[in-house]
Amino acid sequence: MKHIKFFLITITLCLLTSCYTVRLRSENGAPQPDPFSDRDDYYRGMEVVEIDTVINMKLTSKDFTFLIKESDVCASGKLNMVEYRNTFGGVLLSAITFGRKRKMKIKYVCEKP
Amino acid sequence: MATTKSKQLNEWDTLHRNGPFPLKVLFQTKLEGERVMPNKIDRYNDAAREIQRLIKAAHQSGEGFRAYGSAWSMSNIASQKDRMHFNGFMNISMPIHASECHQDSTYDSTNLFLFECGNTIKEISETLAENGKSLKTSGASNGQTIAGCISTGVHGAGLDIGSVQDYVVGLNLITGPNLDDIVYVEPASKPALNDNFIATLNSKVIRDDELFYAALVGLGSFGFIHGVVIEAENVFLIKRYVKKIKKSVAFELANTMDFNNSSFKIQGETDAQGNGNRPFHYKIFINQYSDESDCVVEAMYKKPYTNHYLDPFPIIKESLYRDLIHLFVKLAENFPKSIPWLVKRLRKTILPAVNEETTGMLKEIFWDAPYQGPAFACSFGIDHKDSEKVMQLLGKLTRDEGPIPGIFALRFVKQTKATLGFTKFPITCMIEIDGVLWKKTRKIMSLEEYSRRMIEVLKANSIPFTIHWGKNSDWKFPDLVTHMFGDKAERWKTQRKQLLSNDMQKLFSNKFLRTVGLD
Repeated sequence: MKHIKFFLITITLCLLTSCYTVRLRSENGAPQPDPFSDRDDYYRGMEVVEIDTVINMKLTSKDFTFLIKESDVCASGKLNMVEYRNTFGGVLLSAITFGRKRKMKIKYVCEKP
Repeated sequence: MATTKSKQLNEWDTLHRNGPFPLKVLFQTKLEGERVMPNKIDRYNDAAREIQRLIKAAHQSGEGFRAYGSAWSMSNIASQKDRMHFNGFMNISMPIHASECHQDSTYDSTNLFLFECGNTIKEISETLAENGKSLKTSGASNGQTIAGCISTGVHGAGLDIGSVQDYVVGLNLITGPNLDDIVYVEPASKPALNDNFIATLNSKVIRDDELFYAALVGLGSFGFIHGVVIEAENVFLIKRYVKKIKKSVAFELANTMDFNNSSFKIQGETDAQGNGNRPFHYKIFINQYSDESDCVVEAMYKKPYTNHYLDPFPIIKESLYRDLIHLFVKLAENFPKSIPWLVKRLRKTILPAVNEETTGMLKEIFWDAPYQGPAFACSFGIDHKDSEKVMQLLGKLTRDEGPIPGIFALRFVKQTKATLGFTKFPITCMIEIDGVLWKKTRKIMSLEEYSRRMIEVLKANSIPFTIHWGKNSDWKFPDLVTHMFGDKAERWKTQRKQLLSNDMQKLFSNKFLRTVGLD
């Protein structure tokens, strides 16, 4: 019983501490606004693009580059802010697939056009 | 063609959640792409036609129409119950060339720029910096649009500079749906642009001091501000100091503005005789719940620009847990007596670090303010000679009838020429309490009641005052605008009636205007 408790506490701690976000923000430039958005977080009033996907890598590929396309939600095609989230599940997925599956959970806001 | 998207809504809110306010439709207009329409003036005029189309549609429906920018105002000044227009994507900027200036212009043409309404202070500062120029002053942050700033009188703490509207040299206004309903207004006493250039903006020229200064702080009601011509200056640096000094010294300076003969001196900021220099910016922070004899002040001095200065930005900027702010508010609402204790605990977050010294351009010193959740601010303009007395009166009110979850700060601003500019005193002290937005409970009065009591206390003590148009107040207080501005309120209304047709006066009006009796 003691061992199960210890195991559960360890797993819970791993889950909690391994899940965090990091935000990068450009010193210059203004974020693309979105007056129709009703967000109430750090990104209030901004046009936020959220991506939550798994990238499947070829065996021969070392890394990947995700291209930010010029679109309605990114009219300038330039970045102002990026936030990525690291999760225990993401790390685990990458580990058990030897890096072939990479969890990508990001938010970004483009430069105001 | 510029394109407009719309969204049906029931309500709209400010950035700091001071509403919600009713709204039927929200519009946003995006400019035609540069690849399709590379000429800036063509795109600018194309956007004007699109705005006129929207005005026409609102008029035909018998509805109101109001533009807004970043929604930073905390009063309902930007709100309109029928149709609102988000201007943020209308952000063309153009330098004014010498050949475009009026023959009697006294401006250095290299300092003149035309900015479309939706340019934020940050965008403008960056455009100017690319040209070796800077704004003369800004508010404490940089997210407001230029049209929003001047419509509400945004100010910094420029003792000898003034507010944002004070460096505006001309306004391009859309006053209705017809071809001849676009005007460019500048003061006859200080013309800037020549008629040929103004004609390229499809605008009629009006050179009139009375109209210009009325429209300058126009409360969003002098038509649609499409473009603003401003006077910039050569880029400069600001050296910022944060000091803890005796309250008596801080208020002696506030009351006299005599920095030369004060005991407040900063090493390196003195003249040849060792007397204190006059700062560019002076601000006092007062925690009204503390009986300390000292207080924190912020003084900034203007310096010539050089590339060699330490980066004023930290690498990491942390912000408080929103849940912590929410907890603060809940504690304040249910246990108001805990507010002074809570304010003291949060002082490191609320107040700048003492003995901090930073150097940077205006745009770096007054940088982004991250959204921290619902907030309030009550801001009064008073003669700087009344600073200490008013601080005592409002501090006492806040302690005795509160406590209220916020702290005071005092900034000092040169007089404006704008008819309804609240910085109307020779040097206006803007005394402001800001903090987290709370809800009335059995134990704590509402923000509106608190605002009313502040007005009552100032009136009872015969202190002449104004109120910041974009901040919280009891705006329906009887005869408030007449009390603050006297006959200037009627002069402002007269100019508005001369510029706008009856229908357009109604279309560009809103509840705020009716509440304060300026419609």
